[in-house]
Amino acid sequence: MVEQVNSFAIKTKNVSVHYGNKMAIDDVTINFTKNDVTSLIGPSGCGKSTFLRCLNRMNDVIDSCKVQGEFLLNGVTDIYGDSIQVETLREKIGMVFQKPNPFPKSIFENVAYGPKIHGLASTQSELNDIVMESLNRAGLYDEVKDRMDDIATGLSGGQQQRLCIARAIAIRPEIILMDEPCSALDPIATARIEELINELRENYTIIIVTHSMSQASRISQRTAFFHLGKLIEHGDTSKIFTKPDKEQTNDYITGRFG
Amino acid sequence: MENTHTDKNFEQKLKQLQDDLIKMSEIVEKQIEIAVNVIKTKDSQDAQLTQNLDEQVDVAERDVRDLSFEIMTLHRPVASDLRLVFTALKVSKELERMGDHSRNLAKRAISISSSFDDELIEQMYSLGKNVQSMVNQVLDSFFKKDELKAKTSWNQDAEIDKEYKSLLKNLIERMHNKETSVVDEGTKPILIAKSLERIGDHATNIAEEVIFNITGHYIDLKKSDFE
Ligand SMILES: Nc1ncnc2c1ncn2[C@@H]1O[C@H](COP(=O)(O)OP(=O)(O)O)[C@@H](O)[C@H]1O
Ligand SMILES: [Mg+2]
Repeated sequence: MVEQVNSFAIKTKNVSVHYGNKMAIDDVTINFTKNDVTSLIGPSGCGKSTFLRCLNRMNDVIDSCKVQGEFLLNGVTDIYGDSIQVETLREKIGMVFQKPNPFPKSIFENVAYGPKIHGLASTQSELNDIVMESLNRAGLYDEVKDRMDDIATGLSGGQQQRLCIARAIAIRPEIILMDEPCSALDPIATARIEELINELRENYTIIIVTHSMSQASRISQRTAFFHLGKLIEHGDTSKIFTKPDKEQTNDYITGRFG
Repeated sequence: MENTHTDKNFEQKLKQLQDDLIKMSEIVEKQIEIAVNVIKTKDSQDAQLTQNLDEQVDVAERDVRDLSFEIMTLHRPVASDLRLVFTALKVSKELERMGDHSRNLAKRAISISSSFDDELIEQMYSLGKNVQSMVNQVLDSFFKKDELKAKTSWNQDAEIDKEYKSLLKNLIERMHNKETSVVDEGTKPILIAKSLERIGDHATNIAEEVIFNITGHYIDLKKSDFE
């Protein structure tokens, strides 16, 4: 099969990450196909979050963190190169964290903040539209439309997480990174987010770290298994969960640890 | 399996599932062996024994089914564990059918008159012995996870089909020649031969499941089930 440059949202090659002298990611090469959900799985401390944070340069703020390797956005733009500003990069590659972290402001302001600072709206009515559309896409609009001025921290955990997703969507990213977005949520709120991820896939490429293997199998088309900083196996989720190539992968996903 | 589950309860159930299948296989192997011998001995006690064993086989199949269901519900198996449960369900179904065929053929074999042609009896017995050896091979390949052996036994089915066809031809020729001892038995010898051939088909199906269990893929070459 001939790989088209454009079929990958992000391509990475020979990525290694150190915290001081300690290696956290060891020579990882992986490409993320557009409009797929890719799950990063593996035992705690294997480097999933570290790797995810490299993709939109969230590791830049950690002094001891040294990132090596190639990172290409849409097959051409060097993520760590001079041709793109970090702010522009984070517009294209949004992020949702483990703990919902809305600003202590109104629901409206939480979503409107990004588009405002990125200059995505030139009038108030355009801004209103972006906020409404983002909340809609995040499946939250109907629940909050009558209380847009209420403080966001008063929402339930699941609603807060969907608000964070709306906030990420509002700046029109191409890619959304999620780091264990459901780990603080109950099963119903989790199911709601999973459904949302599946819907978002139409318009975005999603890379998600999850410690739940059943979640990975439910929501992702591709799964990557990390162990001790190495990428052990990456492939179609259905293959990984029926007949992985590597014994190590099989052991991990069937619960044969260590 | 080298590594064990962190979840001991799950581990224990998977082991139980394998043990149940081994037990079931042993009963069916014995059933086939006895049924094939009955072709020659016409021992009615042995024929009754295949009937009794069949009841045990039905119970064993139910056990495998219930345990598989429990494992799927409570432990959500994936990868090699999922393939094992899937294979167990399908293999147990094939074994159960093999059991039925051996019971039926034994019942028919004792009703065949002693004046029936010895050469035909020998031919049926030889077909039976080959089927029996194929079944032993394929079950062995399952428990030893031996892909090559599974493929070898899968290929054996062609030989069995050939032997079955030549036996049928022989039977029909003799009916044409109006050999009374053959004509008098009507369809019985044909049905016995057919049961043996069907056991071979079920063994082939098991070989396919074994190959799936090991490789995650079904064998490509498909043969007609109804020859
Ligand atoms: N800010 C940091 N400073 C130093 N070491 C870190 C830092 N963040 C993570 N690590 C180390 O890097 C390794 C990978 O961590 P992480 O990427 O968080 O793994 P995961 O997300 O798979 O649980 C771990 O050994 C962890 O202790
Ligand atoms: Mg993490």
